[in-house]
Amino acid sequence: MGSMDMQKPDLDNTPDVDTFSTKGSQHPLSILMQEAYQALTPLGFEIASGPELEDQWHNFDALNVPKDHPARDMQDTFYIKNSPEHVLRTHATSTTARMLKKAADKKLTQAAYVSIGKVFRNEATDATHEMQFFQIDGCMIGEDISLAHMKGVLLELYRHVLGSDVEIEFRPSFFPFTEPSVEVHAKFNGRWLEMMGGGMIHPQVLKNAGYDPEKIRGFAFGGGLDRIAMIKWNIPDVRLFYAGDVRLNQF
Amino acid sequence: MKVSYTWLKRYVPELPEASMLEDVFTQHLCEVESVEKKSEEEFLFDLGILPNRAHDLLSHEGVARELSGLLGLPYKDPNTYVAPEVRKTILQITVESELCRRYMGRIVRGVTVGPSPEWLVQALTSIGQRSINTIVDATNLVMFDCGQPTHAFDLQKISGEALTIRAARSGEKMTTLGGVSLGNSDAVGDHTGSEIELTESNLVIADAAGVLALAGVKGGNKAEVDTTTTDIVIEVANFDPVSVRKTARKNNLLTESAKRFENDLSPELATHAMHKLSSLIAKLCPEAQFEECIDIYPNPHAVREVSFSLDAVSRILGMKIEPEQAEKILMQYGYSYTRADDRMSTDSAGAHADTVFVLQVPPLRLDLVGTHDIAEEFGRIIGYDAIEPELLIRLNMPQKNEAYEHMRAARQKLLSEGYREVMTYSFAKKGKISVARGAKGKEFLRTNLSDGLREAYERNRLNAPLLGLSEIKLFEIGTVFPTEKIENTEGRGEVGGVEEIHVAYVDKKELVEKTVEEFSHNLPPVTADAIETGEKNNAGEAFDKKDFSHEQESDSKTETFVPWSIYPFISRDIAVWVTDTESEKKLETILATFAQTYCVRPPQMFDTFSKDGRTSVAFRLVFQAMDRTLTDSEVETWFAELVSLIAKETTMEIR
Repeated sequence: MGSMDMQKPDLDNTPDVDTFSTKGSQHPLSILMQEAYQALTPLGFEIASGPELEDQWHNFDALNVPKDHPARDMQDTFYIKNSPEHVLRTHATSTTARMLKKAADKKLTQAAYVSIGKVFRNEATDATHEMQFFQIDGCMIGEDISLAHMKGVLLELYRHVLGSDVEIEFRPSFFPFTEPSVEVHAKFNGRWLEMMGGGMIHPQVLKNAGYDPEKIRGFAFGGGLDRIAMIKWNIPDVRLFYAGDVRLNQF
Repeated sequence: MKVSYTWLKRYVPELPEASMLEDVFTQHLCEVESVEKKSEEEFLFDLGILPNRAHDLLSHEGVARELSGLLGLPYKDPNTYVAPEVRKTILQITVESELCRRYMGRIVRGVTVGPSPEWLVQALTSIGQRSINTIVDATNLVMFDCGQPTHAFDLQKISGEALTIRAARSGEKMTTLGGVSLGNSDAVGDHTGSEIELTESNLVIADAAGVLALAGVKGGNKAEVDTTTTDIVIEVANFDPVSVRKTARKNNLLTESAKRFENDLSPELATHAMHKLSSLIAKLCPEAQFEECIDIYPNPHAVREVSFSLDAVSRILGMKIEPEQAEKILMQYGYSYTRADDRMSTDSAGAHADTVFVLQVPPLRLDLVGTHDIAEEFGRIIGYDAIEPELLIRLNMPQKNEAYEHMRAARQKLLSEGYREVMTYSFAKKGKISVARGAKGKEFLRTNLSDGLREAYERNRLNAPLLGLSEIKLFEIGTVFPTEKIENTEGRGEVGGVEEIHVAYVDKKELVEKTVEEFSHNLPPVTADAIETGEKNNAGEAFDKKDFSHEQESDSKTETFVPWSIYPFISRDIAVWVTDTESEKKLETILATFAQTYCVRPPQMFDTFSKDGRTSVAFRLVFQAMDRTLTDSEVETWFAELVSLIAKETTMEIR
C-alpha cells in the first residue's frame, strides 16, 4: 500500500460501539447483577433491597460491631453531618441485618436473601479503590444450615458468573458478624483470587435479629461486585464504572 | 506482623521448611502478606494476624505454639531462666483507675546501659526493629517474644520512689521519647519527641511531679533510660483495650505496645513476661541487684471452661468430626479437657449419640467463648477443603421485590429504545444532605440524576465520532436524596423515607427524570411468564420477546474488556464522486486497509447524495493513538498519502 513508512500510531483497539446501532447497551455491573440474581433466585433466594443512607444500628451494632471496637475501624465510614446516628452504608450486610429481623418478625424458620447495591467508603481513590462501589450480600438461614451449604451455593454462583470450570476454596478469616469466618477464593483463568468474605452468622447477630441461635443457624456472604466484574472481564480500573463513558458497555 | 523463621524454629525445632509454612498459614491460620528470604536459613514472614487472634498471636511464642498444635510438633522453651536474688523494696505503686487491670513493677539497681550484645541486636533487626541500648532492647525483645509489652523507667529521674497509675488531668503535658513512631518501635532515637496535651480520658503512669508515660502506648522522655542510667523500674502491666486504643489513635501513636493492648490482652501473660524480662536483664547485667516485684492485680482472671457438643460443631461445619479426631487435635495443642461420650443430641433429624467435651480455655485465648468459636477452630485446623459442597434448594416462594421489578422494567424499556446505561457518582457539589470529611466538590448526596447525566451526555457527545454514533442516548437508574429531614430513630428503627430511586434518560431532544415507580407505572411486568404469554398491561401494550434479548443474550463469560485511549482524537472527512459499483468497492477496500493501520475505527460512511447523475459518498476517518496526542501535521501527512493513493489506484474524483 505504497510507502507509508512514517511513524504509525499505536494501534488503538477502541471497542466498536455499534455503528449507527439503535440497540441500547447495558452497564457491565447491571449484567453481572442480573447474572448473580439468575444464579441465586432458582435456589430460593429472595431479592432484597435496603437503604444506602443507613443507621448505625443496622450497619454496625446489629452485626456485632460494637462502638469503640477496632473492627469498626476496618472500614472507612462516611458519617453524615448533623446526623450522628446515620452513615452511608459501608457494606450491603446492613440489608442482610434488616432481612434477618423481618424474617424473625414473621417467625420464618427458613429463608434466603440476596441484595446488590451501592456501598460507600471514605478512602482515597485509585485503580482499585473507589468512594462508591457495588456489593452483593446474602444469607440463608434454617434449622440445619452449614458451611457445606454455603460452599454449594457459592460454587453455583461463581460457576454461573465466571464459567463452569471455576473452583472455590475457603480460607480462615475474621468478621465480627460471622463465626466461623472465611475468605472465599476462586480459581479463574489459572489464578486463585480473593472474591468475598462470609461464614456462619454469629449467634449474637441472630439474637439481635430476634432469633434463638440454638434453634436457627445460617451463613452469610458478601463482597464487591466491581471486583468480580474487573476479574471476569479484565477491566483495569474501578473508576471506569462511574465515569459515564459508554465505551464501557462492551458486553 | 513480622516474624522470623529462625526465631520460630527455636521454639519448634522440627518446623518444616519456610516454603511449606506459607501454605500452612494461608490455609489454616491467616493471610501471609509477604515472605522475604534473608539467607539460606532465615525468612521473614509478614503475617496478617486477625483481630480475634491478636490476643495470643502477636508474638513469636504465640505463633510457634499455634504451629506446634497445628502440625503436631513438639514445642519447647529453649531459654534458660535466671532467678536472681531478691531484696526488699520501698517502691510504692498506687493504681487509681480501673482501666489498669494489672501492674507489676520492680526496681533493678546497678544496671549497665550501653550497646547491646550482638545476638540481641540480631534478634531485633531480624524483624525490622532497631537496637537502642541494653535495657530498652530487653523490654522490646520480651514484647516480640511473648506478646506482652514491657517498659523501663530511669529510677533516678522519678520524683520519689512512687508511681501512680491514674487518669491524666486536663491540660497536663508529656513529651514522648524519641520520634513519633507509627508502629515501628517505641525507640528512643536521635529525633526529638513530640509534646502531647492530655485529657482526662488518657490513662497515665505518673510520679509526684507529673506524667511519665501514656499507659500502654508510649513512654515520656522525662524518665528515659539512657547511658547515664544506673537504676531502673521495670513495668509489666495490662490496660483496658478501649482506653489504649482511643489514646493511641487520638495522638497518632499506634505503637507496637498499643497494638497489643487495643485488641485485649490477658493480664495472665504478665507473670511470664516479668519472669522473662528479669532473667534477661540479669544475664545482660550480672552485677544488677533486683528488688522484690510488686504485683497489683485486683481481679485475677478465672479459669474459663467451654463445653461443646461434637455433633453441634459438625453440623455447623457441615462435616462429621469423629471423637478421636477431635481428641487428637485437643491433645496436639496441649489443652486440658474432659470427654463425655453417650450424650444425646436432638436436631431436625431426631435424637442421636453425641460426645461432649469440656475444654479448659488457655488464658490467652480470649476468643474461645462458645460452640461457634470451637467450630471455627476445628474448621480451620482440619482445613475447610475437607468440607464438601452441598446444594440445598429451598423453593420458599420468595416474595417479589417491587422496587427491583420497577427498576428492571424501566431498564428493559430504555434498552429496547436504544438508550445506553451509565452509572454516575452519588456525591455532588450541591444537595441537602452532606457527609463529614467529604472530598472537595463531593460533599453532598445528589438530589437528582439529571446533573450527573447531563455531564455524562456532554462527555459522550464529544466522543461521538470515536463511537461512530449519530446520536447519544443515555440513561441511569439510581438512588437520589432529595430531602434533608432524616428521622432520628435512635438507631433501631427504619430510616425514614430519605432516598428515592429515580430513572433519568437523555437524548438530543430532552432530559427526563422520574421516580422509578412513575416511569414503570404503565409498563408490563418483566417476568418469564410475561414473555411467553405476551401479557398486556392496561393500555394494551406488551413487550415483544425480542426486547428481552439483552437479558438472555450475553454469553459474557469469555469476553475481555478492550481499553480506550485517553488522548484526544482527530477526525477527517473524505468525500469522493463514485463512478460505478466496482470502483466504489475499490474505494472502500482502500479506505478499510488505510483505516486498519492508521485509524481508531473502520471508516464510516456518513453521507451520500446524487447530483447531475453523479453520486458522492462521504466517509469519516478518526485518528487516535494509545500513547500520545497525535499532531495535525502527522494526520495531514497520512491523509495526503491516502488521497494520492486513491488518485493512483482509481479514477475517482475527490471532492
